[in-house]
Amino acid sequence: MKHLRIKQALAWVFLLGLTVFFVRSAPLSSLVQLSDWLRQDRENAVGIDVLEQSYADKLWKKEAFLNLNGAAAKLLKMRGYYSDLGMYITDNDYIVTATRETTTDYEVDQTIALERFCRENGINFCYVNQPIKYLDDSSLNRFGIMTYANKNADLFLQRISNAGVPTLDLRQSIIDEGLNIYDMFYRTDHHWTTQTGLWASGKIAERLNQSCGYNIDLTLYDSTNYTVTEWENCWLGEQGQKVGETYVGRDDFALIKPNFPTSYTFKTSEGIEEGTFDNFLNESVYDPLPDGQPNRNSWYYSYLRKNAVNHNVDYGKVLLIGDSYAHLTVPFLSLGIAELDSLILRDVGSDFQLTELILSGGYDTVLVCYAQNMIGSHDSPQSANYAMYSFIQ
Amino acid sequence: MDITNVLFLFWILPISLAVYYLAGERVRPYVLVAINLLFYACGAFSYFWLFVISTLDTVGLGRSIAAVKGRVGKKALLFFGVTYNLCLLAFYKYAGTFLSRLGIAPDLAVSLRGIALPLGISFFTFKAISYLVDIYYQRAELATRPVQDVLYLSFFAQVISGPLTRYSEMSQSALSDSHKANWDLFSEGVYRFIIGFNKKMLLANVLTNIVNETFTADFSDFSVAYAWLGAICYSLQLFFDFSGYSDMAIGLSQMFGYRCGENFRYPYTTDSVARFWRKWHISLGAWFRDYVYIPLGGSRVSGRVYLNLLAVWLLTGVWHGASLNFIAWGLGYFILIAFERRTGLPGCLKSWVGKTVYRILVLLFINFQWVLFRSQGLKHGLRYLRRMIYCAPNPFADQRALFLLKDNLAFIVVGLILCMPVVPWIGKKLEGHKTAHAVYEAAVAVISLVLFVWAVSFVVSGMNNPFAYGNF
Repeated sequence: MKHLRIKQALAWVFLLGLTVFFVRSAPLSSLVQLSDWLRQDRENAVGIDVLEQSYADKLWKKEAFLNLNGAAAKLLKMRGYYSDLGMYITDNDYIVTATRETTTDYEVDQTIALERFCRENGINFCYVNQPIKYLDDSSLNRFGIMTYANKNADLFLQRISNAGVPTLDLRQSIIDEGLNIYDMFYRTDHHWTTQTGLWASGKIAERLNQSCGYNIDLTLYDSTNYTVTEWENCWLGEQGQKVGETYVGRDDFALIKPNFPTSYTFKTSEGIEEGTFDNFLNESVYDPLPDGQPNRNSWYYSYLRKNAVNHNVDYGKVLLIGDSYAHLTVPFLSLGIAELDSLILRDVGSDFQLTELILSGGYDTVLVCYAQNMIGSHDSPQSANYAMYSFIQ
Repeated sequence: MDITNVLFLFWILPISLAVYYLAGERVRPYVLVAINLLFYACGAFSYFWLFVISTLDTVGLGRSIAAVKGRVGKKALLFFGVTYNLCLLAFYKYAGTFLSRLGIAPDLAVSLRGIALPLGISFFTFKAISYLVDIYYQRAELATRPVQDVLYLSFFAQVISGPLTRYSEMSQSALSDSHKANWDLFSEGVYRFIIGFNKKMLLANVLTNIVNETFTADFSDFSVAYAWLGAICYSLQLFFDFSGYSDMAIGLSQMFGYRCGENFRYPYTTDSVARFWRKWHISLGAWFRDYVYIPLGGSRVSGRVYLNLLAVWLLTGVWHGASLNFIAWGLGYFILIAFERRTGLPGCLKSWVGKTVYRILVLLFINFQWVLFRSQGLKHGLRYLRRMIYCAPNPFADQRALFLLKDNLAFIVVGLILCMPVVPWIGKKLEGHKTAHAVYEAAVAVISLVLFVWAVSFVVSGMNNPFAYGNF
């Protein structure tokens, strides 16, 4: 390029771009952060990547860049574009991830030990296997990768069943009812939909009736008893936010609320709170942003997992040991149980004693409800879910 | 701190440019040194003071060499300075590995191996040696102010992975009284920076995913196609990564008013192994030529030329790392370059077919060499090479290889095209046609800018990998 005028024009555009992005991307707060970072203690220094990430998060037009990247991937018809983030895109634009093979030894030992403990103390126990987005591990073969999500679950459930642990495999219910697994999950989020959460709660309630001496009115979980408010193309799940909405598009969302009267006492960290099913909801998430765009918070988490006493039911005290799927099962399941507490083990400290909680809480039933890709999380100490199966210390 | 990071791109770079050009001419080198120190602190916080002290020590020694009158004194200072810098390199880069290989002081070896390598120490050491030697032999005129020496050793654009510029190239700012000339230099710099950024983010980064996967995969899953895909992608990735970095470094140097030599000249167009190294990492090849090969006698002493070559290639291997795969990689180049020297290949080939066949063989050899270079050790490298040839009982191609190829085909094809001088060739062809050439230039600029925006989106999406040569 001998004609420097074109290069000079390029340089002007470049400088203009740098200036605009510098001015619009919180330059002063970045200066404060950088000077704080430079003054930190050398021995316990935090890496620059923390600062870089913080800056990237507040970069002007960040969303537009993400969308541009996603649009390019879509244009190029790339399904493994974000494989370094562990994500693949199916032909129907579902974001899926693979799960490593595991022996299931730790999970089996711990689950059996917990079931024994409950049995010895006269407490009902059931392990509920929650599905992920695919029921057949070979569905990821087209990407040339192996996943063991279902094989691990099969092995684990078989082993604990052989040891006499009661189980409920929701995958089997899906197959028996001829449901489409993809319809039951968000495309851009790893969680199940609100409708699926209600459906799964009904299945768990049914199981409590069959095996734990409950007499829950199963019509409570009949979809005709609910008011459904639907939004189309309104939110982007956690996985979708990493790849941009132009790559996979937004998800729909359904707000499902019982159309019968409810009355609760909620036990929260702030104290006791009286209310109705509506208190399980943070509906501000559905409010559009000032620019008219949909709220970018996770709509899935608009359902809150709260310990609740249901004044309309007089039987049952259940402890649900769960994962984030419980944000839906806790509110819906609580409609048929007098008292339902829940717990996510990755959120508690290392000195926490589950057995003490079970005994002091006076529960008649303990449910462990885990998404099947939790199995094997103890293989890696770096995993956020490392302690999820550490039931008996 | 990575020069492809948004914090650098949209915060540190605009502030640095603004402060640098707003400062008076005499103050500018000091401003640039401050920027260098900030950059190094961000990149290697725990080694900041080591970097400052070794830079000041080296400059002090260099200035002393120039000041001392007697030859013995100069020589002693040079010896001390070179040894001092080599000791730092040896301690941080090699001590742990050598102690553990020799089985001496295992606890110390483990703790030394656990120490992170100071940012760019290999490049810093070579620049420091070149600085001291050039002053000793008076190859470079000493700048009037020592700040220029500090700037040469610490220049942020070159501190991570070179290019290994010479002191004579950087002891003076290329900025002049002519605003037009300065703006021309700046504009050239912006263009080179954008080209380099695009190479790194759009080609090297995408190919890195394939490379990282294949070079860490279990051999039991390997097919021949999978092994070849990983090897070819690595040859492309390393080229676009390192030449992209070099373009960015050259561009940043020009943006701050300094000139910097070329580091790559389309190396995969080579017709011989020896010529490949005159096109690949040119500044490193030139460094070994000037500071090892020629002082050893070079090709002047006919009986020792192969010994000298062996020394150069062993040192080149060791400079990249202390493990056996780097030594084998260096030896491989020695053998082929010595073979070409002995046989007169490819110059002795007269036919077009012979030359083409030899050229293909050279590229295959270079590809095999990169496999050794990228491997986690010599054993791993040799096993990988075996899988490229023979994979039984595994199939020739597997689903994973086919998926990766299909999914990344556009990037691989573009990479294969752009590692050849296709764009300059088109420009050259259009030189005689004024309008067509203007359109070509405008198109290149616009496409580069659009691709730059796309490239930034990779960084924002968290799809950024460290520079491949950042670890050396």
